[in-house]
Amino acid sequence: MISFAELALNGIVSGLVIGLAALAVTLVFGIARFANAATGDVMTLGAYAALSGAGLTGSLVLGGLFGAAAGAVVGLIGYWLVFRKLGGRSSVAALLASIGVAFMIRAVMGVAFGHGQKVFPMPMVRPWRILDIRVHPNDVNLCAVVLVTLAIVFAILHLTPIGRQMRAVADDPSLARVSGISPQKVMMALWALAGAVSGVAGTVVGIKTVVSPEMGWELLLPAFAAAILGGIGHAGGAIVAGIALGIVQEVATPFVGFTYKIALSFVVLLAVLLVRPKGLFGTVAGAR
Amino acid sequence: MSSILSIRNLRGGYSEVDILNGLDLDLAPAEILVVAGTNGAGKSTLAKAVLGLLPRLSGTVSLAGDDITRLPVEARARAGIGYVPQVSNVFPSLSITENLAVVEGVTGQKARIEEMFVLFPALAARRRSRAGSLSGGERQQLAFARALMTRPRVVVLDEPTAALSPALVEESFARIASLAATGAAVLLIEQRARQALAIAHRGAILDGGRVAMSGSAETLLADDRAAALYLGQQH
Ligand SMILES: Nc1ncnc2c1ncn2[C@@H]1O[C@H](COP(=O)(O)OP(=O)(O)O)[C@@H](O)[C@H]1O
Ligand SMILES: [Mg+2]
Repeated sequence: MISFAELALNGIVSGLVIGLAALAVTLVFGIARFANAATGDVMTLGAYAALSGAGLTGSLVLGGLFGAAAGAVVGLIGYWLVFRKLGGRSSVAALLASIGVAFMIRAVMGVAFGHGQKVFPMPMVRPWRILDIRVHPNDVNLCAVVLVTLAIVFAILHLTPIGRQMRAVADDPSLARVSGISPQKVMMALWALAGAVSGVAGTVVGIKTVVSPEMGWELLLPAFAAAILGGIGHAGGAIVAGIALGIVQEVATPFVGFTYKIALSFVVLLAVLLVRPKGLFGTVAGAR
Repeated sequence: MSSILSIRNLRGGYSEVDILNGLDLDLAPAEILVVAGTNGAGKSTLAKAVLGLLPRLSGTVSLAGDDITRLPVEARARAGIGYVPQVSNVFPSLSITENLAVVEGVTGQKARIEEMFVLFPALAARRRSRAGSLSGGERQQLAFARALMTRPRVVVLDEPTAALSPALVEESFARIASLAATGAAVLLIEQRARQALAIAHRGAILDGGRVAMSGSAETLLADDRAAALYLGQQH
């Protein structure tokens, strides 16, 4: 028997992960102005890198840093080879290109690591019982990892010069240029940051569940749903919406079954688009 | 004549159609030059050409004798051209201080921000407020301050009074007059040509993407043809 409280707790963990993925989506949308369908597969790549890193070093923390670094590097490569060249073209061109990048990453992961599922070597720990609710120490650690990642991202966005420039470009790219801000520098920072966030998100999913070439792609829809629900381009909104979506998915599982919980994201996505296209926190239609 | 900004045979536009048709213009150091002309004459397009924002351009733009025609937008800004666009002239989600701090190519940034707060005291009182929450007048002061951060040699102002309430227009012109006193040359694009010429040294009137008339402010104000065709009724 698993109680609703435990389901909700699970929901917070998966919701934080969705929130991280949605943050990566919304950052790219706000600054590079397209929906990056490769976000999920950069997560996958991050998870495999973390798995290899943990295997090499014997440390999960170092593995996670490997995952973040690999995500950042792939984000930069994707920008340099593909998205940089599409700057100024329509956002549909960039979206289609990102689907192509997504398939390439997935194919390479399949070839390099095989199509079977892999798991992180996790020590078995007895769950704590708090008010008769089972709490897994691993989940608490994963939540902490996500929260620290979020804190770092928000500190970069709000307390550093490059973060300020990223927000300026999100507000108004041409005013940013006439203020002396180099678009290329901001784009490189953006892709490295979004890639690192995706890498961490993938690592957390991999630790929580299993690592497979398809894992990230399956999380793309919830990530898009949360990004739109939170108000596209709105970093804080993405997180809150991700957590909400995660809880709804988990709590609904006993009713709709495991296979259909993913469809809930789609329902939420459609509902938001129909009822409140600017999302919960969006203030202006379009990118902000 | 040693111009700070020199524009020669400028042609270009947004697509195949030329909006600018061979435009020549010179701006002397610390001079206020008014660029007037009817709606659609190409005034904002000229500003974008000077800043490097126009997709297609031929001719030359020189800043203090250096050809900057091929410099990207951000490099021109850092080279010393400040710009206050006609619309969207602040970063609405950034605070007032952030709007100033985000400008690149500023030496002694902290001190320069404080200088701006001395120049625009209304901003100093609200430095943590989001620029999106400012009134029209405050927003314009912030746009001026942002454009002045780099201690520019040339400031391009695109219809700075268009969005202001009548009560603020006088104040705005007074502020523009004081800009030139700081040593910056001002390219002032204005529909309120008479009022603008009153604070300016010279004026140029655009028509069909080229300079139709130009001369000292007094000459233009006294010219019957300019008055009849371009400057509107005398108030
Ligand atoms: N972004 C743009 N794309 C295409 N055409 C434009 C754009 N901006 C202005 N134009 C055209 O260029 C001409 C000059 O416009 P503009 O320079 O804005 O005039 P002004 O500022 O003198 O009112 C107009 O015919 C206008 O329709
Ligand atoms: Mg105009």
